[in-house]
Amino acid sequence: METRGWKQLFLLFGLAAVLFLAACGSSGEAEETEGTASESEETSGAGNSDDALIVYTNSNSDGRGEWIVEEAEKAGFNIEIVGAGGGDVTNRLISEKANPVADVVFGLNHMFFEQLQAEDILIPYAPAWADEVEEGINDADSYYHGLVKQALILSYNPEFVKEADAPESYLELANDEAFKGIYQARDDLGSATAKVIVASILAQFADPEGELGISDEGWETIERYYANGVQIPEGEDYFTMFASGDAPIGTMISGELAAKMEQYDTEPAFIHPEVGTPQVVESIAIVNGTEQEEKAQEFVDWFGSSDVQGAFAAEFNAMPANKEAEGQITDFQSEIFADVKPQEIDWEFVTENIDAWVEKLELEIF
Amino acid sequence: MNTLKSNWYRINPITVILSFFIVWFVFAFLIYPNVNTIYETFFGTGTFSLEPVEKLLRSDRAIGSILNSILLAFILVVTVNLVGVSLVLFTNYFDIKGANVLKISYFSTLVYGGVALNLGYKLVYGENGPITQFLLQLNPHWNDSWFSGLFAVAFVMTFACTSNHMLFLSSAMRSIDYQTIEAAKNLGASQFTILTKVVLPTLKPTLFALTILTFLTGLSATSAPLVFGGREFETITPMILTFANSSSSKDLATVLALVLGIVTIIVLTFMIRSEEKGNYISISKTKTSIVKQKINNKGLNVLVHIIAYVLFVIYSMPVLAIIIYSFTDSLAISSGMISLDSFTIDNYLLTFSSIEAIRPYLISLVYGFLGSFIVVAFCLLCAYLMKIHNNLLTRTLDYSLMIPWFLPSTLIAVGLSVTFNTGQWVVFNQVFTGTLWLLLFGYIIVHIPFTLRISKSAFFGVNQEVEDAAKNLGANAFYTFIKVILPIIMPTILGIFSLNFIGILPDYDLTVFLYHPLFEPLGITIMNATGNSASADTKALNLVYTVILMILNTLILTTVYGNWRFIRKRKRG
Repeated sequence: METRGWKQLFLLFGLAAVLFLAACGSSGEAEETEGTASESEETSGAGNSDDALIVYTNSNSDGRGEWIVEEAEKAGFNIEIVGAGGGDVTNRLISEKANPVADVVFGLNHMFFEQLQAEDILIPYAPAWADEVEEGINDADSYYHGLVKQALILSYNPEFVKEADAPESYLELANDEAFKGIYQARDDLGSATAKVIVASILAQFADPEGELGISDEGWETIERYYANGVQIPEGEDYFTMFASGDAPIGTMISGELAAKMEQYDTEPAFIHPEVGTPQVVESIAIVNGTEQEEKAQEFVDWFGSSDVQGAFAAEFNAMPANKEAEGQITDFQSEIFADVKPQEIDWEFVTENIDAWVEKLELEIF
Repeated sequence: MNTLKSNWYRINPITVILSFFIVWFVFAFLIYPNVNTIYETFFGTGTFSLEPVEKLLRSDRAIGSILNSILLAFILVVTVNLVGVSLVLFTNYFDIKGANVLKISYFSTLVYGGVALNLGYKLVYGENGPITQFLLQLNPHWNDSWFSGLFAVAFVMTFACTSNHMLFLSSAMRSIDYQTIEAAKNLGASQFTILTKVVLPTLKPTLFALTILTFLTGLSATSAPLVFGGREFETITPMILTFANSSSSKDLATVLALVLGIVTIIVLTFMIRSEEKGNYISISKTKTSIVKQKINNKGLNVLVHIIAYVLFVIYSMPVLAIIIYSFTDSLAISSGMISLDSFTIDNYLLTFSSIEAIRPYLISLVYGFLGSFIVVAFCLLCAYLMKIHNNLLTRTLDYSLMIPWFLPSTLIAVGLSVTFNTGQWVVFNQVFTGTLWLLLFGYIIVHIPFTLRISKSAFFGVNQEVEDAAKNLGANAFYTFIKVILPIIMPTILGIFSLNFIGILPDYDLTVFLYHPLFEPLGITIMNATGNSASADTKALNLVYTVILMILNTLILTTVYGNWRFIRKRKRG
């Protein structure tokens, strides 16, 4: 009986080996890459294979990743995409600092890029298209450059909230009891969206004398904002709650809107606060320690160019930061951005303090 | 002293080499990377600082979360054991009509877990779920968000955490010698006396290990409190994860993890002491298979049947909900209302068109197979050494192997990838970051504590006399282990193997930091398709992936676990 058991086990083991080989072989087009990659793993352990450019991003969902790989191949680049959430990508880059796997990183917003720059993860490179990008978006020291603009627009669902009853700003949500329990106050502070909203509120109360650079009034406001708002439970989608009326006032992300609206058949009405609407820019940068710096530069030059960004914008309803790509912006995006006035936020001040703010919110306010 | 000497004399060179290997592995992969993290916390600024501790003590929320976690752990120990033992009695001990059907639903927690399981419960008990709608019809003033807070978390986790009972307590139950029950009957013992004085005590070593497991599961509960706890019932692990993701708050995460560690160590000390007191239950050499007991008391029999079928309904509903809703559109999923028009197979088509076919499945299957195979082999070795040499060294080993239990996998992953970024002398200057190895090590490390605890309890259930008999017949330790002990504990071992395997398949938290860019595992694929940044129909896709995983897991369980029992049965027959 034992021998039979062992035979089974060996059989399974053999099966696993076959599966593994199959897994290695199944990506026919990149066979050579795989070969070199596994060789280099065995010997030096460095992930940088000779020809594939490793690209980290948080912007590969909904077919974007596949699209980029395909288009890059047409342009002669062999790239591999590693996708994860913005925070995870940042942490992974930081923990791999001494032996980087990635060559290029894109899609993160400037809060993450500031953190990476501070950790010495990036090397500066001014791509050919740097001047085509709207002013004030690129890093002054050329560490990262803007690709896609996202506006985080406060909105309400007209099915459940009358225009006359709609709030004017985040501050009104916090200060007027009438909105208690009907607006979304996202507390997943690991996510970029929630952090930007916190920054948008707190930055209005900057006070050098106050705790962590924020006045007492600011802290009281954000405390009320979270106490009266509805949190999105794990596994729930903010747009589902917005569409179903569970929390019909919330923050929409411009780049996701088209797909969400179609899916839920819900049309949000936008609110344009006097202070403006927070905007973030997804950027691109080259990773310090890449063994293929030249190729990485070529890739950045190609990917950020007005042609590629324009095609990307047309395909995925994005808002390119490259002004030359404006011709290809979908009507939907231009309409959204037509009325949006960007909020003036001192990002240097925010990136310096955001971790401490999050810590205070988590420990004392939530 | 004499015995000690003779013990040392008996040690063979293989044992010595293996011991060195274990000590090296534990130091290199469990202690070295993690101590690094802890050191940074308190000495990060160059001087010893208790600032993070002070910060946490000042926070009501942090203290509340810690207390909630401990409270949940205690509640679960009671409720999970109660339900778990009942399930095992209903399927293996009492004669219940339709036990085979019941069994399928009781086993369901094995094939899905985590966020997916919570989603299933939410579909049933949530605001739009059938249970809530039913309660609303009974009482229109019923609060439709009644299913939240401590009650909901404890309810979901009670039924979610009985997998281990179904696997390991069942196999312990099956190995009870029926002659002992017959003997008790002949002596005139009542059914109740037999159950409490003969059957349950035999299960004690397994129950004990399961109790500890349950306690620690409750202590580190993550997804159920996030989904059902709301603001009023928060636990410690989600907080650790938030802080671990922020570079300047990492120290807080480490301190909270240390709190978990201290509680774990206290519980383990208690457990290891009790294990040492002796739980050597004899398994008869001429064993008679257990015969199911019909309950004599009519009223009691009816009551037991009712309970068994209520449990059946509780276990089946979330699984059915997941399967049904995976075939509906997003409107039906979010509103709970299903009409004939709601049914669609688009969700499935989307799943298979948006990913690069089946490659991630294959990669995860290979990692799952290798990872769980190696961790089981390693833990068997450690558990065996601990059994034959009970000394300071093996006790230290026991505690060291528990380290991954109180560090969230995110911290373990970061520790690994930071440490093995550069060549470390402890691993002969190999660099592991960016290789296929690192993720395999990660999977092995996080599954060590669970595997070891169950392996140990399995070993303690083996009759010492069987082993002695083999040795007296001239078998060496290795031969005895392979030919005598291993077959006895094989059902348990295969149980852990499949559980680890199933656990590795959809893992994201650990995987995301360690996977090789060219080999994307399933957890990453799922997250990319259903995560926050995805705008596709995330909930529907989640359900589809859950159904696919359920099928995969069932296949794994039946091939690994089912086959073995089939072979054994055939052999017997």
